[in-house]
Amino acid sequence: MKARILVVDDDEALAEMIGIVLRNDGFEPVFCADGGQAIEVFRSSKPDLVLLDLMLPGTDGIEVCRQIRSESDVPIVMLTAKSDTSDVVRGLESGADDYVPKPFKPAELVARVRARLRPGDQKAPETLRIADITIDVAGHLVSRGDERISLTPLEFDLLVALARKPWQVFTRELLLEQVWGYRHAADTRLVNVHVQRLRSKIERDPEAPEVVLTVRGVGYKAGS
Amino acid sequence: MVSAIKQVPDPQGPNPSDAPVDSAPGAHPPHPVTPAKAADTSHKPGAHPVPEHTDAFGAGLARLPFQIRIWRRRALIVAVRVGRLVRTGLDRFFPGIRYLLHSLQRRWRRSLQFRTVLTTLLLSISSFAIVGAYLSNQIANNLFQERLTQAESETRYNVKQVQDTFDGAQVTDQSSVITLVYDTLNAVEGRGSVIQRRYVFEAMPEQTKPRNRWVESRASDQLTVSVIPPELRAAVQDSGKEQFWASTEFPVGTEDRPGIAVGNKVTFNGTVYELYLIYDLNTAQQTLDEIQNVLWAGGAALILMIGGIAWYVTRNVVSPVSHAAVVSEKLAAGQLQERMVVKGEDEMARLGASFNHMAASLQEQITQLATLSQMQQRFVSDVSHELRTPLTTVRMAAEVLFDARHDFDPINKRSAELLYNQVERFQSLLADLLEISRFDAGVAMLDAEATDIVQLVSHVMEGAAPVAEEYGSGMTLNAPEGSVVVEMDARRIDRILRNLVLNALEHGEGRPVNISVASNETAVAVTVRDHGIGMSPAEAARVFDRFWRADPARARTTGGSGLGLSIATEDTKLHNGWLQAWGNTGVGSNFRLTLPLKQGGTITKSPLQLEPADVSLHGHGDHTVLVLGSTPAGAMDAAGEAEAAVGTEAAVGTDAAVGTDAVRLPGGAGASKAAGTGERS
Repeated sequence: MKARILVVDDDEALAEMIGIVLRNDGFEPVFCADGGQAIEVFRSSKPDLVLLDLMLPGTDGIEVCRQIRSESDVPIVMLTAKSDTSDVVRGLESGADDYVPKPFKPAELVARVRARLRPGDQKAPETLRIADITIDVAGHLVSRGDERISLTPLEFDLLVALARKPWQVFTRELLLEQVWGYRHAADTRLVNVHVQRLRSKIERDPEAPEVVLTVRGVGYKAGS
Repeated sequence: MVSAIKQVPDPQGPNPSDAPVDSAPGAHPPHPVTPAKAADTSHKPGAHPVPEHTDAFGAGLARLPFQIRIWRRRALIVAVRVGRLVRTGLDRFFPGIRYLLHSLQRRWRRSLQFRTVLTTLLLSISSFAIVGAYLSNQIANNLFQERLTQAESETRYNVKQVQDTFDGAQVTDQSSVITLVYDTLNAVEGRGSVIQRRYVFEAMPEQTKPRNRWVESRASDQLTVSVIPPELRAAVQDSGKEQFWASTEFPVGTEDRPGIAVGNKVTFNGTVYELYLIYDLNTAQQTLDEIQNVLWAGGAALILMIGGIAWYVTRNVVSPVSHAAVVSEKLAAGQLQERMVVKGEDEMARLGASFNHMAASLQEQITQLATLSQMQQRFVSDVSHELRTPLTTVRMAAEVLFDARHDFDPINKRSAELLYNQVERFQSLLADLLEISRFDAGVAMLDAEATDIVQLVSHVMEGAAPVAEEYGSGMTLNAPEGSVVVEMDARRIDRILRNLVLNALEHGEGRPVNISVASNETAVAVTVRDHGIGMSPAEAARVFDRFWRADPARARTTGGSGLGLSIATEDTKLHNGWLQAWGNTGVGSNFRLTLPLKQGGTITKSPLQLEPADVSLHGHGDHTVLVLGSTPAGAMDAAGEAEAAVGTEAAVGTDAAVGTDAVRLPGGAGASKAAGTGERS
């Protein structure tokens, strides 16, 4: 079955072009040109991934991102013209999993989309533990005791990557490669922002983390 | 023979004094007993040494040289003692005194008000001293003159009275004579309880004529003839019937009082007597003292007041000036909204108003410039961003067409290729433009971290390997130190080095590109040397300019934006480093990047020479080593071994470069020149 991708972009030409490229690569694009209607289109089309332009008329991309994230864990990839500004961080903090800076190549876009969709992510039954957190990898479940913790697929992947090798300290670059699928060095802010988001969900006190520990000057590792 | 006997009244000395008391008794109708001459000299005996005054020298004047000597000796002793005291005091309190002197000096230098007040005080003290001395002198003189005139006329009158009494006396017996003489003389003393004048009556010595043997001498109180200065006596004795005067001192009770002695002769029964009348100057002296006290007090008060006035006036003038200084310093520090307080309509107010006017127009212009510059930078940034969305579409479309080009006919196929390549170039141009606009806007931030620059260079060479292969150029790395950790923004340094290496490959004409890394205590340097077409010194000077191209006619094959080296320059500046170029037409060029090892450090000299040591060598193709090392260490070893010759040269060059970063002309041809950025300062 074709993965359905919602493209939220007010630039019709770009949206159409993205559509052509996605279709060419075997995806099914759905379009929305207005930020105000994005959430309704999202609900009706139930996409597998959202491509979201940050600068939109009406409701802006950040707000759309927050709305979608509030009701779904579906991967969100931002399209941004200003990769150097705080917009990227704000977008990531509002729930986006990844971003593609304009102008991007079709291959780049498709690679990011594929990395988030992870087709054939068949996981063997496996249970991991970090600190007092239990992770059911196959069932995509995270819990502390009887309490279920809801994570987005990206946050789940991040946690699993750390939990599988609790003895290893992961540099940000390594995490970018393993979790985001970047082959080359990319923006390490992605890692920082998502670790913060992950901590805010799984830590008892995000200020004093026990599950995801910071190793100063190197990166992150799983708590014992 | 007539020595000037006139007595100059000395206001300070004990001599000039007179009691105006004498004027009261009314015993002084001017009776010129003495010759007419005496009358006119009596008017100004002080001013004119008239012959009638002979050597009746004032006691004070006689003693003056002696007194001066004594006082001088005393003053000397006191001065020496004071000097010793001051010196020991200075030693003991030296730091304090030095501090005091220093702070006074500082205030003198720095405070206009202090200087003005002090100068005013000193000037008014000296002018007051002059005026005071003059006044005091004048008053003393007048007092003395007045008293002298009075004394002379009174004496004349009294001497005449005495002479008349003596002439008309019909007494022959001793007691009558004595009584007559004593009564007559006592009458001279004046009526009333206060003695108006004292007398000394003495027979002239060595009289040959038969004389009155009953009366030899007589004087008021306990006076003796010794109070009369010998000079005065001599003058009286030598003259006929003239009258003379001199200053003297005479005892009253236990004290010595200043006075004027006026002498003349009287005859009794054929015997010539000297009659001296002595007038007390004590009261005049007291008056003078009082006047002087008043002058002192008045002067002190006046000086205090002048000081206060000077302080007040200068404060009024200076305080707006120092206010202006404070405000202009604040303005200079960038607080453009600072203004002076303007009060009234005087010169200071005008100054304040025009100062404020200046500040306002400055502020306006600066704000306008800042706004313009901000607008311009914002515009560039916005344009770059706005262009990105359509560019993305175009780029994607171009790539779709490019991917499908094999299905097109030759014309369309080529068009698709051109479109794709140019869109790529357009994209990189846009990216560079945006980067430059970030530098211009001052928003570029340094994200420095300690990184091994040798490893970074190896990465860059790895990345450039496909391009090198395309051009057929070899790349060598000469890094004798193996690893140099530098505090730097790896992303920016990577960009600089990639740019330099790609440039060298592009202009290297297939000849090898030599990359060297070396460090000293403060800095690390990377040079990228090519042996291609090179460039002239003039070109080397312009190579960092924006959009500048060495040869406009040359094909822009690698699609550089023309901003690469400008961005590299900005990146270098951000690190406080140097980026310099050397070039020689036909020989090649050399780019040198020098960075401080620690951020905030300064570079004293670059570890590598800008002008390459092998500049005169030819046949570069001989030592071509393509370094595609999988590990940096391996790459380095390969470079180090294969390029021993070059390495040595580089090392030699390093030594030779000590202290001489200046340009060295190869073979005196004058064909090389360094173009530096960041080294200007």
